[in-house]
This record gives sequence, C-alpha cells and structure tokens, in this order.
Amino acid sequence: MADLKLAQQLSLKCVHCGFCLEVCPTYRATRSEVHSPRGRIAAVVSGALTSSGIETCVYCRKCEEACPSGVEFGEIMSAARRPSLEQIMVHRILEDPLRLYNAARLAKMGLPLQVARRVAQITPEPTLPPEYSDPDPELILFAGCIAPVFFTSTVLRALGFLRQRYRVRLINACCGLAHYAEGERERALTVAQRLGDAAQGKPIVSLPSNCSSHMKAFRQLGVEVEVYDFPEFVELMRLPLPKKQLGLTVHEPCHARLAGLNRYVHSALERMGVQVVEMADPTLECGAGGGYIFEQPELSDEIMEAKKKEVAATGCDTVVSTNFACSLALMRMGFTPIHLADLL
Amino acid sequence: MFIWNSCDVVVVDVRREVEEIVGARWVVEGEDAALFGFDAFTAVKGRPRLVALPADEEQTVRLIALLYRSCTPMVFRGSGTSLSGSTVALTGEEVVVSLTRLNRVYSCEGLEIEVGPGLANVLVTRHAPHDLFYAPDPSSYTVCSIGGNVSHDSGGIHVPKYGSTFNSVVKLRVALCDGSVEDVGGTPYFNGANIFVGSEGSLGAVLRATLRLHPRPETSRTVLGAFQDVASTARAVSAVYEEGVIPAAVEMMDRNSIDVVEKSRYKAGYPDCAALLLVECDGYTPQVEEEVRRVRLVFERLGGKVMVPENPAENSRLWLGRKGAFPAMGVVSPAYLTLDSIVPRTELASVLEEVGRIAERYGVMVANVFHAADGNLHPLIPYNPESPKSLENALRAGWEIVEASMKRGGVPSGEHGVGIEKARFMHQYYSQSELEVLWRIKRAFDPDRLLNPYKMLYENPPETGDRVVSLLYTKPWEAE
Ligand SMILES: Cc1cc2nc3c(=O)[nH]c(=O)nc-3n(C[C@H](O)[C@H](O)[C@H](O)COP(=O)(O)OP(=O)(O)OC[C@H]3O[C@@H](n4cnc5c(N)ncnc54)[C@H](O)[C@@H]3O)c2cc1C
Ligand code: SF4
Ligand code: SF4
Repeated sequence: MADLKLAQQLSLKCVHCGFCLEVCPTYRATRSEVHSPRGRIAAVVSGALTSSGIETCVYCRKCEEACPSGVEFGEIMSAARRPSLEQIMVHRILEDPLRLYNAARLAKMGLPLQVARRVAQITPEPTLPPEYSDPDPELILFAGCIAPVFFTSTVLRALGFLRQRYRVRLINACCGLAHYAEGERERALTVAQRLGDAAQGKPIVSLPSNCSSHMKAFRQLGVEVEVYDFPEFVELMRLPLPKKQLGLTVHEPCHARLAGLNRYVHSALERMGVQVVEMADPTLECGAGGGYIFEQPELSDEIMEAKKKEVAATGCDTVVSTNFACSLALMRMGFTPIHLADLL
Repeated sequence: MFIWNSCDVVVVDVRREVEEIVGARWVVEGEDAALFGFDAFTAVKGRPRLVALPADEEQTVRLIALLYRSCTPMVFRGSGTSLSGSTVALTGEEVVVSLTRLNRVYSCEGLEIEVGPGLANVLVTRHAPHDLFYAPDPSSYTVCSIGGNVSHDSGGIHVPKYGSTFNSVVKLRVALCDGSVEDVGGTPYFNGANIFVGSEGSLGAVLRATLRLHPRPETSRTVLGAFQDVASTARAVSAVYEEGVIPAAVEMMDRNSIDVVEKSRYKAGYPDCAALLLVECDGYTPQVEEEVRRVRLVFERLGGKVMVPENPAENSRLWLGRKGAFPAMGVVSPAYLTLDSIVPRTELASVLEEVGRIAERYGVMVANVFHAADGNLHPLIPYNPESPKSLENALRAGWEIVEASMKRGGVPSGEHGVGIEKARFMHQYYSQSELEVLWRIKRAFDPDRLLNPYKMLYENPPETGDRVVSLLYTKPWEAE
C-alpha cells in the first residue's frame, strides 16, 4: 500500500495535457484512454488498479520523455502494479538462464499453457547457455537472460571480441528490469544486489542495451556498479572495428534511448563504414517489452504490425537491434535482427 | 437535412446495441469510463455512463442515430486536450463517443488534404507534400485532433498571418443526430462548414475534414524585443503593423512567465526585462530581411533591446521557452487555469495592468504569455488542486480578467472554446436576440438537446452536486 501511495503522490504532477498520448504504443494501437499514459495515471489516482490498462503498459517510458511536466511515469507504474502469479513465475525463470533454457524446451515440446504456446511461437531453438571465465578476470561481459539461450552465437562473438584485449568473465543473469517494471520491486532490488556482488567491483560490459540502461540506474536502488553498454564500451575505448560493406537499418530500443545509448551504435556503425538507412522513427516501439510479448499477445502483435510497416519502408531486411527482446519481436515480423557484436 | 422533432424511447438496452455496433472490445464502462471523463481543464472531472470507440464513419453514424433515438445524451471526444472542459461528461448520463480511431488520411491533392477527425494535428503536415504545410498549430499540435481543432476553432502562434482553423477548413463531412451524413462547405454561399467550426460537438460529429495547405515559406526569422515596461511592449505590437509588416507570429511574455520558464526545463536564457515580444517573419527571403530590419527599428525606437538569433539552435531555444510556458507552470503548481479572452491591441497595456490588480486582490500569481497580435490573452493562474479555496480564487480571478477584457471591447474566448469554463459569459456577452439566433441553429440540429449538453449553450445549470460546477454555472450577475 505504501507503494500505491507513492504512485499516487507522483501522479499529482500530471496536468492532463495529453502530450504523452501519441507517443504511447498501446494508445497508438487502441486509440483508447484506457491504454494511454494519462488514463493509467488517472486509474492510479483513483485507486482503480484493476483497470486493464495497468496490465497493458509496455513500460517503454516513451511517455516520460514526452511529458512536459516531468511526470515520472516509470516509477508510478512500477510502484502501482501488483505482479500476477504468472508474471512472478516468468521473473523466476528469467533470473536463471538454465531455467529459461529448460522452460523453453518444455514450451517447444508443447506444454499446454497459453504463455508456453506463445513462447514456442516466438523464440528460436534454445541452446544451453555458454559459460566462461578467464583466470583473474578484469571485465564482466553481461549477457542478460535471453541472449545466452536464444542468441548464443552473439554472446560468443562478443566474448571473443573482448577477449582479444581483456581477461573476461561471462555472466548470464537477469538485471531485474522485468521485475521492476511489473511491480516486483523488492525482488528487483535483490536481483540487483546479487548482480552487484557478482561483479565484485569490476566494470560490466552489457550486451542487452535495455538492461544496460536499467543497470545504469541501479544507483537509485542503492547498488553501485560500473556499467557500459557494449557499443558504448567499444566507442569509449575506441576499440578497432572491421570495415563492413552492408546496408541495414537500426532499431532504437526504448530504455537504451532514455539513457542516451543509441548514439554509440550509430557511431560504431559509422566507423565500420556501414550504410544505415534510417527509419522515419527508429524509436517506434517494437512490442516486445520484457515479458510483454508473451503476456499480452494481442496488443503486442498490434504494436509489431506498426513497427513492421516502419521497418519495411526502409527496404532493409537486416535490422541492428542491441536488445534481444526487441530482436525476438523483429524476428517475428520477418526481419533479420543482428547485434553490433554479430558484425565483429 | 431532415431531423425528427423528438427522440422515441424504443431502445431497450442501449449498452447491448452499442456493443453490437462497435464490438465488445470498443465499449468501455465502469471505472474505466472515468478515464474519458476529463480533459485538460483540470477543475472538473466527470464520469460518462459508457464510452464507445467506433472504428469508422459507418459505425459512428449508426451509433449517433442509436443514441439519439434512445434519448441518450452524448459527448464527442477527440484527444481530450480541451482547456475549457468541453468533453467533460457532466451529469454521468452521457455516452462518450471517441472519434480517435477515425484517423485516416483519405487524399491529398493540390492544396487540399482530406483527413479523419481523429488524426493528430502534427500528422497533417507529415502527410502533406514536402513543399506544403498545415498552418494552424496550437501548442498541443503533437496530440490534439483535427476534430477537436475544428470544433474549438483552434488557433496557435501563426494565427496573425495564416488565421485560425476556420481559415483552413474547406469542407466537412458531418454526421447528424438522425443518422444522416452531409458534406458541407466548399461554397462561397450558405457555407455549412462554417457553422460547424467552433461548434464544440453540439451540432453533430465531424467525420472528415478537407483542409487547406499552404506553401512552405522559403525563410523564417525571429526577432526578440525585450522592454523595460509593459506599456512600450504593448505599444510595439501595433507599431510592427504600422511599419507595414505582417508578421507570422507575435508572442508576448511578461516577467512572471519569463521567471517560470527560466526555472523550468524550457529555460531559454531570456534577457532580464518587464516583458518581451517574439516576432516571427516568414516568406520570400528579401522580404523577410526587410521585415526583420523594420521590426528591429520599431523595437529600438520604443526602447527595446533586440536579439536576432543567428543560427537555428539559438532560434529554437528562444521558441522553446515560449512553447514550454504552459507546461513550465508545473514548477510552480501541479494545476493551473488559463483563460483566453481577447482585447483590442490598443487596450493591451491597460488590461494587463488591470490583470495585475486582479491577481493582487485574489492573492494569486498570474503569468501572462499570449498571442499579442490579436490581443488573445492567456493568463496562466496556478492553483493548489487540493485546496477548494485556492481553486475558487483562481476561477474568480480568471472571470474578472475576462470581464475586464469585455469592458474594453474584447470577447470572452479567442481559441480555447466556451465549454463549461466560459458558458457563464454567453449571457453576459451576447444579447438576448443574438442568443436566440444561436439557439435556433442549435435546435435545428439538436432538437432534444442531447449533443454535448450544458456546454456553450444551456438553459438551466446542470445539477451535479459538485461545488465547482455550480460555481461555474452561476451567472455573473446572480453571484453574491
Ligand atoms: C498544453 C496545451 C496547450 C494548448 N495550446 C493551444 C493553443 O495554442 N491554441 C489553441 O487554440 N488551443 C490550445 N490548446 C487547447 C486544445 O488543444 C485545443 O482546443 C484542441 O483543438 C482540442 O483538440 P482535441 O482533439 O483534444 O479535442 P477534445 O478536447 O477532445 O474536444 C474538444 C471539443 O471538440 C469536440 N469534438 C472533438 N472531436 C469532434 C468531432 N470529431 N466531431 C464533433 N465534435 C468534436 C468535443 O466535443 C469538444 O467540445 C492547448 C491545450 C493544452 C493542453
Ligand atoms: S510506458 Fe510506454 S506503454 Fe506504458 S504508458 Fe508509457 S508510453 Fe505507454
Ligand atoms: S504528458 Fe505528462 S502531464 Fe501531460 S497528461 Fe501525460 S503524464 Fe500527464
């Protein structure tokens, strides 16, 4: 209840101007206030937490960027939401990639659960998460939860690239963004602390860019870590990059954008001589969210439909996506997502 | 047009029939309906009985006919950014018909574009050829809908040169209460579209709008004039015109609004002054250069300090402050009222002085940031939403400002609509016979007064039990 109070307190800043509506992917898909940031805030204020809009928020925080009054929408949603049993279950699975691997295998075998069917539809074949550590590592490569299981080759490429210069330890784990977004705040803190302990004060280079963004905000939870998004690290260190003759477009993941990380992807691609065909709006939501793509099939498909048009208009099939949940969505749309690491 | 005299109550289960028309997913009821019960007029919230989101013109027309036939009051709603409370479901009996899903672009030919009412203003230009643009640009342009723009005759900073929405509407397709659809406008005589511009959803629903586009100006330059007293600032507005310049925009900000902006994330680095003017000149380059020269001379003659931004970044920074002035009020208070009366340019200085006195009397802060060329005031009055007394003071101060404007030959509302906020002034501003004309038009389209009841025109105040609503509907001469 204390959390709801906090959410309501933060909501008072909202002046109902509606400036957040047209950037919100669920509002754009439904054109309904129930699924708009302003509507969600009103539901929180009146305590109507059973409003379906509370569930359907992707937690992309696009609205926060658009809000002229500085409403902290992410905090409001995180504090107001009560995670469902299904969500808690998904969070526990995400916390351990081995568990995710087993769950995905079960799903692929036809586990008769709605979420499982959706997982089976959307994900590629799962692979056993790789493990690696150099002796006395000086750097952590954080692969997140999805990549080690579904994008193993990307993880291995990134690892190989970094190992040319550094002693590296690979960590496959969850950053807690899904927990935080879906209202499991205590657990999100535990997950963050665990990660902080595991890093032992070493710099973390993180592959999934939305996780990078979340980890960069760990300080607000009282956990100190030194985090770089993979392209950010590559650019700040001016690591040598191969030249590539390629034409592609770039998807800008939502949280990465909030943390200003997408510019590093662009500068790295520029250094490689890659030709980028810009989308009219590269930040348009992909519909993946964290567990959203599995939990809200109807809306996420509608959001993907809009994104698909946006990407298709570039004429490119290859899309650089530095966040793996987004990559799953892009694959479902029929495109070929690659991470910057795949080009190295 | 043929309209029945009265509704017959043959519909037994309105909810079920609404669902049959729009589909279950597009009916919102219960607590969620309240999410459609308010707009950007923060003082009053309502709760509609039901909300329906039709998918297209055909569903909208059937829906309106059904609701009218069953004597159900209805409110049409776009993006809900009205500042006059025009979309608020006051009595709780209303069904809100949301037109947001009708957001298609139908065609674009020559200087005209045909769009659905739910399309956001900003998307009109985005769908126009690169050398054209849609001129009316309310500060809310990224979100407000064309249906709402038409229904409030919305303006924006470019009104001085390009006019308000009224000047950009060529034709409209409207749905009437009896289920008929008419294409109106496009004629130099008996232009039916004109009646719908500014009608606030009280005559029928706008289903489609054909809008006029303008060629994009070759150049656009800004001149800022900072003055040490309000009188010279006000004087400078007319002087610009006297020099033969037709500016695209003339915006004025007083010290309070500058202070608020400078404290917010819209900080523009304005010079220290009593008031400033931001003038935009646009068009053919040699002409713009001459206009900038003349504006500069006018400002200097009246003792103003002049700034002409030399690069696009500096230019946008100056405008960012102006455009962020409304939301910047958030640094002072989470809620504010803003009225929009108009005064003749020659009366600007005296009315602004009066505004200062009114603010003092009610113990409120008033920040003035407004469209100066047409004397369209926007006093921003912050209040504490948790204190009824604070809201009442803000309301009363606002009313006195409107009255002061009317006394000087002004009008109560320039561009935000009458809604529930200014309904009380209709009786004060218009004569009995003028009101009768308005009522005749209203009755012709809405004999049973079911379309957006109590907004703009009303006979008896709504009985809602809400103190703020009854305050709003107290006729000025009946108060105290
Ligand atoms: C921060 C802020 C800044 C603003 N700046 C300006 C400004 O600079 N200039 C300005 O003029 N206004 C401004 N506004 C006011 C507001 O944005 C405009 O009045 C806008 O036109 C409302 O559009 P909407 O789509 O939100 O309409 P709504 O608020 O949804 O509706 C407004 C009215 O139109 C009616 N309506 C809507 N759609 C239809 C339809 N299809 N058919 C029939 N009736 C319909 C409604 O019943 C209601 O009466 C501002 C508002 C905010 C919050
Ligand atoms: S976080 Fe994203 S989905 Fe949720 S309300 Fe904001 S913009 Fe919409
Ligand atoms: S933009 Fe901000 S203040 Fe405006 S409605 Fe959205 S959350 Fe509220």
